[in-house]
Amino acid sequence: MIEIYLYGKLRRFARDQDPTGYSVVHSIVQAGDTIQGVLKRLGIPMEEVGRNIFLNRQYSALTRRVKYGDRLAVFPDNMQLLYSWYFVKVGEDHEVKKDKS
Amino acid sequence: MSKILRVNMTDLTARYQDVPEKYKLMGARWLTSSIVSDEVEPTCHPLGPTNKLVFAPGIVTGTAAPTSARISVGSKSPLTGTIKESNAGTKFSPMLAKLGIKAVVVEGQPKEGMWYLLEVNKDGARLLPATDLAGKGAYATTDALIGRYGKVGVCCIGPAGEMKMAMAGVCFNDLSDRASRYSGRGGLGAVMGTKGLKAIVVDDKDGPGVTIANQELFGQGCKKLTEALQTHDITKPKGALNTYGTAVLINILNEAGGLPTRNFASGTFEGAPKIAGEAIFEGNKQRLGKELYNHACSPGCIIQCSNTWHNPDGSEQVSCQEYESVWAFGANCGIDDLDVTGELIRISNDLGVDTIESGGTIAVAMEGGLAKFGDGQKAIELMQEIGKGTPLGRILGQGAAFTGRALGVIRVPGVKGQNMPAYSPRAVKGIGVTYMTSTQGADHTIGYTIAPEILSVGGKADPLSPEGKAELSRNFQIATAFLDSTGYCLFIAFAILDIPKGFEGMVQSCAAVLGTNWTADDVTRIGKEILRKERAFNEAAGFTRVDDRPPEFMRYEALPPHNKVWDIPSKALDSVWDF
Repeated sequence: MIEIYLYGKLRRFARDQDPTGYSVVHSIVQAGDTIQGVLKRLGIPMEEVGRNIFLNRQYSALTRRVKYGDRLAVFPDNMQLLYSWYFVKVGEDHEVKKDKS
Repeated sequence: MSKILRVNMTDLTARYQDVPEKYKLMGARWLTSSIVSDEVEPTCHPLGPTNKLVFAPGIVTGTAAPTSARISVGSKSPLTGTIKESNAGTKFSPMLAKLGIKAVVVEGQPKEGMWYLLEVNKDGARLLPATDLAGKGAYATTDALIGRYGKVGVCCIGPAGEMKMAMAGVCFNDLSDRASRYSGRGGLGAVMGTKGLKAIVVDDKDGPGVTIANQELFGQGCKKLTEALQTHDITKPKGALNTYGTAVLINILNEAGGLPTRNFASGTFEGAPKIAGEAIFEGNKQRLGKELYNHACSPGCIIQCSNTWHNPDGSEQVSCQEYESVWAFGANCGIDDLDVTGELIRISNDLGVDTIESGGTIAVAMEGGLAKFGDGQKAIELMQEIGKGTPLGRILGQGAAFTGRALGVIRVPGVKGQNMPAYSPRAVKGIGVTYMTSTQGADHTIGYTIAPEILSVGGKADPLSPEGKAELSRNFQIATAFLDSTGYCLFIAFAILDIPKGFEGMVQSCAAVLGTNWTADDVTRIGKEILRKERAFNEAAGFTRVDDRPPEFMRYEALPPHNKVWDIPSKALDSVWDF
């Protein structure tokens, strides 16, 4: 099982939708599951999901794998980190930029 | 023809001077930091007669450029001892600009206990006695002046500024004439207090307006910028900021494990959803019976991110509960009640203090045993104590570092005497680098998000490495120094960092007003010039690299939930200034 915390308009996919509390969905995890896979299985439209996804409190890419016991938090597209450039996304490739010469 | 207004509080004169050639292209922070650098002795006492207080609208302020009504206030800070600039969004700024006033420089000092009002309009400027306003809170002062003069621009200090407290801010009125827009950080309200200046009113009726050198280019630039603002998810109508305001970040930072909680003891707060943007939107909906979207703080703003919190009976309690303020009095104090944070913000606005520093001070006071974390009622009493000017009130009014020393609290999360804002450095190390290396103490708006590629400033290092973080922070600080000079609200950065045409439009609009050929390269050149000037002032004031460091406790105390300590090497911090 993993816990998925939903915010904003995505709370409608949880039973408790009180915007002043936590809206949590539990999901089983299948081998090789990614964050994207879990969300799709819950029926969450990917176009409503913003860039702000946190897996175990880490800013994460959709391609990151999940495992049993994880905590996933998902924000909709109209809720965004304002200083996203300071947050390094886990799960994306980080190439050391090549010298311009 | 623009001019500088010189206000001498020793001989009580106000006279205009021509703008020296060297200042002709400058605005806002570029201008305030230049005048302070040129005219204020870096080793002066910030509360003494030789410090100066400079007000300056931005390069495009007063024109039709969207979201450009910011004013910068600059001086030597009584809180940090560094050079300081802090800015606010307010109609006061375009009104000054439309009178052709590029800067107001307040200098000298009147007799102790004498209070004055500066009145500025198309006929000139004069100082009037303001004994009737002395001792009044910012709300009452603003109301009295609006009553007397009509819907003018109002700038004032509250009792905290009159008492020369180091966390006193400079208050400006918003579009509805609330006393709610603050040049909050760094104690500039105390400097205004030492000048005996209780308030300034500005009326731009029949003023000459702002001259635009290249109208066609200006139109093109504004069009690109406006399009970017209106299409980006963060800045567009009914986008993130218009719907939830910056308080949307409470839940986001909580999930990131970077929301400083109970005096920076943790990065998550269990009560976060109760004080987040969603809760504000919902609470207003319940109490008003309808959805309430946010409003503009100043004329011409199309982002409109300011909220208003309402009492259970539907009356307005305060504007606004924005991220930094709600966090400072909320998560940082262990308080999860919007009515309490709202009241604490309202008291801050009225006393005339910086909400970030105040919340930080209350949290340090809680750690020092003056209240339990989470005790909202006690927090309110402590804030009220500041207004009474009792010995305890005066200790608290000096900010978190001073309060920590008085109470024997080691865990004071500040840099250069200024308390940290709402991003925990142990969790978000890049922002920590900015806090530590900025010219103005721990400050979050000083290193903003502009993509290095847009600026062509390199970006060679791995963003995961300490060197990469240092490089990012340097680039952000350079770009922000420029943006801080334009008069544009920094929030345009969220759109223009993603939409290059928007960035282009921003630069074009500035170039068009001034008649220059600026490109992105000039953004970097000017940003560097501003930072070098500020750093030189600080060095002459006695600051060294040893002051660009974290509070010691962050080096050994691991912050939950990530359980990380601050481990960026000092060498990397120092490399921020390698330019």
